[in-house]
Amino acid sequence: MKRTYALLTVACAGWLLLATTTHSTRNQYGLITGTPEIKSINALTFGPDGVLFIGDGKSATVFAIDTKDASAIDKAAQVDIKNIDEKIAALLGTEAKNITIQDIAVNPTSKKVYCAIQHSDGTPVLLKIEGDKITPVSLKEVAFSTLALTNAPAEDAKDRRGESLRIASISDMGYADGKLLISGLSNQEFGSTFRSIPFPFTKTQDQASLEIYHAAHAKYETMAPIKTFTTTEIKGKKYLLASYTCTPLVLFPLDELKAGSHVKGRTVAEMGSGNSPLDIVTLKKGNDSFLIMANSNRPVFKVRHKNLEAYQGALTTPVEENFATAGVDFVSLPLTNVIQLDKLDDSRMILLQRRSNGSLDLWTSNDRYL
Amino acid sequence: MIGIYNNRYQVVIRLYALYSLIFFIASLLIECHSAKEKEITIRWQNRRAIGISIPKGFIDTIDADSLEKQLSVRLTNQKTAIAGQYQLGDGTVIFEPLIPFTRGLRYVVWLNDKRLGEVSIPALDSNDRPALLGIYPSQDSLPENLLKIYLHFSRPMRERQSQKYVTLLKNNNDTLSGVFLDLQPELWNPDRTILTLWLDPGRIKRDLQPNKRLGAPLQTHNRYKLVVTASWPDEQGATLEKDVTKSFVAIQRDSLSPNPKKWTLLEPKSGSLQSLDVSFSESLDYSLLTETLSVIREDGANVPGRWQSGEEEKLIRFKPNNVWQSGRYKLRIESRLEDLAGNNVNRLFDRDITRKDQRATSESFTELLFKVR
Repeated sequence: MKRTYALLTVACAGWLLLATTTHSTRNQYGLITGTPEIKSINALTFGPDGVLFIGDGKSATVFAIDTKDASAIDKAAQVDIKNIDEKIAALLGTEAKNITIQDIAVNPTSKKVYCAIQHSDGTPVLLKIEGDKITPVSLKEVAFSTLALTNAPAEDAKDRRGESLRIASISDMGYADGKLLISGLSNQEFGSTFRSIPFPFTKTQDQASLEIYHAAHAKYETMAPIKTFTTTEIKGKKYLLASYTCTPLVLFPLDELKAGSHVKGRTVAEMGSGNSPLDIVTLKKGNDSFLIMANSNRPVFKVRHKNLEAYQGALTTPVEENFATAGVDFVSLPLTNVIQLDKLDDSRMILLQRRSNGSLDLWTSNDRYL
Repeated sequence: MIGIYNNRYQVVIRLYALYSLIFFIASLLIECHSAKEKEITIRWQNRRAIGISIPKGFIDTIDADSLEKQLSVRLTNQKTAIAGQYQLGDGTVIFEPLIPFTRGLRYVVWLNDKRLGEVSIPALDSNDRPALLGIYPSQDSLPENLLKIYLHFSRPMRERQSQKYVTLLKNNNDTLSGVFLDLQPELWNPDRTILTLWLDPGRIKRDLQPNKRLGAPLQTHNRYKLVVTASWPDEQGATLEKDVTKSFVAIQRDSLSPNPKKWTLLEPKSGSLQSLDVSFSESLDYSLLTETLSVIREDGANVPGRWQSGEEEKLIRFKPNNVWQSGRYKLRIESRLEDLAGNNVNRLFDRDITRKDQRATSESFTELLFKVR
């Protein structure tokens, strides 16, 4: 009898816990159940409690989706899939040439890998990777919320400051300190459409759209789009470390990024010509932190965080070096043709790499690269 | 008598044979017809094979709940079941994959280990091809700090292909590398018919490393040829009919913002549907031109109509939907309108902040007045 009572109590407690968890999740982040109309997936990033942000450039909208994948694990499993494009193509019933892997993101809680695919006709597909198992993630009847990245100028648009560009594509997204950071690209104007949006999304849009400039040698100033970015801490202060489409790596203090402000960053490095930055992550080994950066036309770069902290100048004179880079010291890792990377845990990352034999592999790095 | 009887007997036999033949042919026809009904058929939407219908007769023995477990659709050479959704329809089971079936490929339907049938998705007709409608700017003399090139296709194209299919030749000889910014994802308009290509801004912007080391992508007085290769596939895999080229010569750097005060307006007549012609002294950005201008009546209302650029984007025509009423009008120009070098009405693309004459302004728009008489 006692056992029955005990069981009943446990069951009730479990049910209550489950009920309150679901309830609080919906309340906490304001998500409602339905089928989001996602037209494209340019970028993925995770927020709190398994909330996945999907950047849809085609409809200039960001979606926050509850993946219900929020159980924490101690040690992340390795991911190692050879010819991942062919495996995904078979799962989707087509050939590898007809699909592209748009972005990969690791759920920081469950350590599962999420992957955005685009079919040649533009249809987006979201996949989840666990070990060597690839499964589609249904986006029907999920808890979600949306935020349109509006283009409209302010009502009293006498001043163009703070007015944003028309977005054609989302180049990167990140989540830090309760805010979703988005860099968008316009297909008409070469400018920055960087935004900082508090999450949960609110009805009244509080989109800090920023004009971010960088200056070449304190003389020529341009407003340019950010290709990829990360947030980092230098001497207790939070910074946005952004890499531009025209190659400079620029630091901005996060607290200066306010809507309508004209922010000028400090260029800490240039990454060489003909190169476009793809992804930046921060990894740790012991007490040392490293920035790891994948590039379109260069090997993966590594920069010791201490060097970044120590480098207090802005890049003022071009430095002639082998790799045509300047500013903070970079080390080129023996990793070429890395198309995507994301942080798996403190010391490991997952990489999507085109190997020299032509195979496109998703694999997990160990800390020997640090 | 016997002869008559024999004759009649023979006729009856012949009639029987004829009836049997008719019955046989009819049954055959019915059989063929029902065989057709038993085929797996393709479901189309906008010329895309979005699903297949499997007749229920194939799978009578399984219940609706276990469709997904027992049925699978695979590529002929693959063991992986294609991800998608099974639904019970009227007399059929419908399977819709996450992405449409690919033209030219064959798919097999399996019930556990039993092969139920095969469907082949027909390839596109060889004449069914996309076309490159235009390359912009359409002028054949372009400033050496040209920032953008637009490719306008007749139908949605496959993305991430420009690095493979677009090349720039210098003086009809050298293929230039690293001229265009390798941007992934590429910048397409929402229906993926217009692609924006940026000439590497790191090389255009003065004093940046790429500019110092490699110089600007284009140099004054040189001749260039942009080649778009025919093998560029559209979203369904059909390719362009032939290579498309555009030849141009690079002229001196454009270091001036567009100045609406220097534009000329050809005023339309009252009561007419004449166009309002706006001429600039230079070519302006193809894509921004049709989006950044508006005509406003004295009372502040927008005049509905259509914009069309022409004459190498040195002119734009506004055709009103309704006849012009006499009165004063404003042509509003959004400041984000750019010239070919990315200089907009407010600021230069690459501004020397030490020069006072290159200060950026911050108005959202400027206006030109005109009258309709």
